[in-house]
Amino acid sequence: MIELFNILDADDDNLKKMGNSLGLSLDEMIVLKNYFSGLKRNPEDIEIQAIAQAWSEHSCYKSSKIYLKRYFSGLKSPYTILTMEDDAAVVSFNEDYAYVVKMESHNHPSAVEPYGGAATGVGGIIRDVLCMGAQPVALIDSLYFGNPENTSGILTERFIINRVVAGIRDYGNRVGIPTVAGSVDFDDSYNTIPLVNAGCIGIVKKDKIVRSRVEKENDILIVCGGRTGRDGIHGVNFASKTLNENDSENRNAVQLGNPIIKEPLIHAILEINDLGIIDGMKDLGGGGFSSAVSELLYAGGLSGIINLDNVLLKDANMEPWEIWVSESQERMLLAMEEKNLKLADEIFKKWGIEYSVIGRTVKSDNLIITYKGKKILDMNLKFLTSGPVYARDYRPVSNNKSDIAIREPENYEKFIRDFISRPNICSRFNIVRQYDFTVRGCTITKPFTGFPNHETHSDASIIKPLENSMSGLSITSGSRGKIVSIDAYNGTMWVLAEAYKNTISSGSMPHSIIDALNFGNPENPETMFKFKESVRAISDFCRYMDLPLVSGNVSFYNQSKYGEIKPTPNILMIGIMDNIVKRITPDLKSTNSGLYVIGNIINTLAGSEYSEMFNAEYSYIPPVNLNDLKILMELLKNNREIINSAHDVSQGGLIMALLEMAFGGSIGIDADLSQIDGKLNEKLFSELGTAIVIEVKNGMEKAFEEKFKSVNPVRLGKTINNKIIIKNLGKVVINEEIDNLRHIWEHGLDKYI
Amino acid sequence: MEGTNNEEEAYLSLQRSGFIPDYIHIFDLNSGRKNLLDYDVLLIPGGFSAGDYIRAGAIFAARLRAYIRDLQKFNDLNRVILGICNGFQVLSELGMLPDTGNKMERSMVLAVNESNRFECRYTYFNYTSRNKIFESAFRDRIMQVPVAHLEGRVLFKNENILDEVLQNDQILFKYTNPDGTGSGYPWNPNGSVMDIAGISNENGNVIGLMPHPERVYYNFQMMPDGHVHEKGTGEYFFKAIYNYTKKLFD
Repeated sequence: MIELFNILDADDDNLKKMGNSLGLSLDEMIVLKNYFSGLKRNPEDIEIQAIAQAWSEHSCYKSSKIYLKRYFSGLKSPYTILTMEDDAAVVSFNEDYAYVVKMESHNHPSAVEPYGGAATGVGGIIRDVLCMGAQPVALIDSLYFGNPENTSGILTERFIINRVVAGIRDYGNRVGIPTVAGSVDFDDSYNTIPLVNAGCIGIVKKDKIVRSRVEKENDILIVCGGRTGRDGIHGVNFASKTLNENDSENRNAVQLGNPIIKEPLIHAILEINDLGIIDGMKDLGGGGFSSAVSELLYAGGLSGIINLDNVLLKDANMEPWEIWVSESQERMLLAMEEKNLKLADEIFKKWGIEYSVIGRTVKSDNLIITYKGKKILDMNLKFLTSGPVYARDYRPVSNNKSDIAIREPENYEKFIRDFISRPNICSRFNIVRQYDFTVRGCTITKPFTGFPNHETHSDASIIKPLENSMSGLSITSGSRGKIVSIDAYNGTMWVLAEAYKNTISSGSMPHSIIDALNFGNPENPETMFKFKESVRAISDFCRYMDLPLVSGNVSFYNQSKYGEIKPTPNILMIGIMDNIVKRITPDLKSTNSGLYVIGNIINTLAGSEYSEMFNAEYSYIPPVNLNDLKILMELLKNNREIINSAHDVSQGGLIMALLEMAFGGSIGIDADLSQIDGKLNEKLFSELGTAIVIEVKNGMEKAFEEKFKSVNPVRLGKTINNKIIIKNLGKVVINEEIDNLRHIWEHGLDKYI
Repeated sequence: MEGTNNEEEAYLSLQRSGFIPDYIHIFDLNSGRKNLLDYDVLLIPGGFSAGDYIRAGAIFAARLRAYIRDLQKFNDLNRVILGICNGFQVLSELGMLPDTGNKMERSMVLAVNESNRFECRYTYFNYTSRNKIFESAFRDRIMQVPVAHLEGRVLFKNENILDEVLQNDQILFKYTNPDGTGSGYPWNPNGSVMDIAGISNENGNVIGLMPHPERVYYNFQMMPDGHVHEKGTGEYFFKAIYNYTKKLFD
């Protein structure tokens, strides 16, 4: 099918219609009409398709760019090497090595085809890290699902949950990169539109970093790995709009992943890179060649001549524009000098990797594509890749909910049993045990920690990426849509604070931040306001805490017929530790040690799982005391030797922090909460505050109280054998065997996965 | 080959224990660039060779079958052939395990786990043999090991094979709980008959196991279970193979 776009003669109505089929607005079509009027010709279909993908929200960030620029400029540190420039961030790890990191959403594909969408989300993020020349060493997945009981969509939530997890499992396990960290949340606002945020960390020698740009004239352009097919046509365009129920044709827009091509491709690319002959590299992801070729050339101040006849195809009958925008997986684009092709050829052959030379770089303003002897695209590259920028309207959210005091449960012990089986609170074993988190042998703190087959959740996972260095990277990722939806600024601050607390509780030092911003419709001014507030919070946090924001991703149009998702700024925080032997885990280590809470628990139930159980709504989220967080970090760093274990108070409140510490083994808790301020339900279930629970080494209690006196240490009690006893003001809140409670918590997801 | 993906930790474990390891890709054998008999130990690492889309290890085994004479000779020279996880699946597909009666016939299978899902967890195994390689390092020891597989449930073609395996003292490692008093799921993560985690051939030098000692070479790679682990399980395991191999060539 050849689509002809006669835009020179089209009136506004016709332009609008054409624009609709391409995902371009009328204004954008008028810009196009003016451009081609200047050339005195109509566009070829490939030219129009190239524009449509380059100018999509997904590719050019037209709604977000203005805010990202305003708030995120200059969030660097002396140790950042590449931030917000190339396909992934590069940050110094030690003298010789750097880590590479990136996180991206793959929400729309996962909604229509959960298995393929999630799998290629993992595949794509691995390529982003690989194209910087780095060996991928860890995968991260933050997942947001609807209510697992929901059956109102084309797919049930249960189906979506199982297939997303299967996609991540099958891709990650087969490619042999451990899935070490992430998060799983459930909320009605994600019904039928799950969020899949996939992250990857790689490690690279500093002198082997490859840029996502080519600056050498007359280099050849090589595409290698998988062949180009009809899978994944228009992926970026459908990711830039709202999904409709009858969008089943969108399934063609979801790519097919093949980890068994990827695995040798990784080897081949890294071996070729070791020779130092790659002048620039991009992965072929969203937008296919159209994005990768254009961006590689444009960033290097060059242009190119491409011959589409040389692209290896899965299907010989593809139209040239389909070849140009296909998002087929497992492909990489390399630029190198022609004389080096011989060396690359040997390595490709050794690993059984197909490749072809599709063109070369030239010094010119225009990109030229030829096909069957004909010139089919000849366009100014700057015009093609720049894309429009919008300053979308925004409006503060009107909020007239009044906060009400929630009643207390009549029987706390019974209530706690129900509470710990809830999908947002219970254990993640059924999901995470399906992921290979030990492959490569570099996962030191696993997603679970404690006695084998009786573990508890870790705060942050820790990997040791190099054989000859004891240094480690800690990884934590997640978001809290419930809290952010009440107040986007302070809510996002709490998401960042939680990442920070997870990092310092695992014995690590916060080092860099990566965001994946998932929001609803940017054309809705209230959503745009929340987006802007969230971005502002990230900026303020980074500046205050002296942390770099190294890489980011924006996903808009996360909306179904039921409405928009709760704003979900997912934060991935990387921490660094000089010696992984000093790591801290939350599982209690011995009986008769002192149990303390440090920092503060704010007396509010806003945004908490507890308030969700009572359907209570809130309008106010208190601010984060960033200075307290800094002090906590310093104290934990300097007093490692007197701490047995630590766990931050976050989702589920203090009760979950205490229970999870006990769930990692057979050591229990005898605690009295009388010294903490507030009502009992706030003490137990508040999710806001800087609080961290610490198990202090036996005999070191006095020293601990002295050293931590600036962060208000409250002694709760001590560790005991096998039981959990919690008291308050002379009354017993709960008194139960660890294993009885752990059993409920462990099996909370059994009904669903 | 493509889809094999545990080679790095396997390489490092061999190196840490004293070997000078080298990667051999199946293409290296096809092209004649490398020859199996130039090596002292052969380790087939884990992963998903060819994606395991047909049956775990089946395609890798089919491709290796072209070098079956070399493998047999390797075996005849008493050199260690070790298959971990997917490598174990390959050796059983080739008929090199349990290989009762030295007939090189496929007589066992590593079936899909009883739980019907991929199992990534830590468990324990105890040493249940008098194998010449592991005897001194493993006698009466229970060791922590990670597993990560979908197809790891040992099933023999018939009861006679199991009888012979028992008769020949071929069961090297059995899954157990930490104090050795019982097993069952999840300690036995896949439902293997008799809790079998690893076996050898009659001669004891061809070894297959589902757990991954190469991922716990150092104690800091283990799960904190309240015990002080002076060394990781992998160090005992690979040092034992190194010491055996060294003697073989002395």
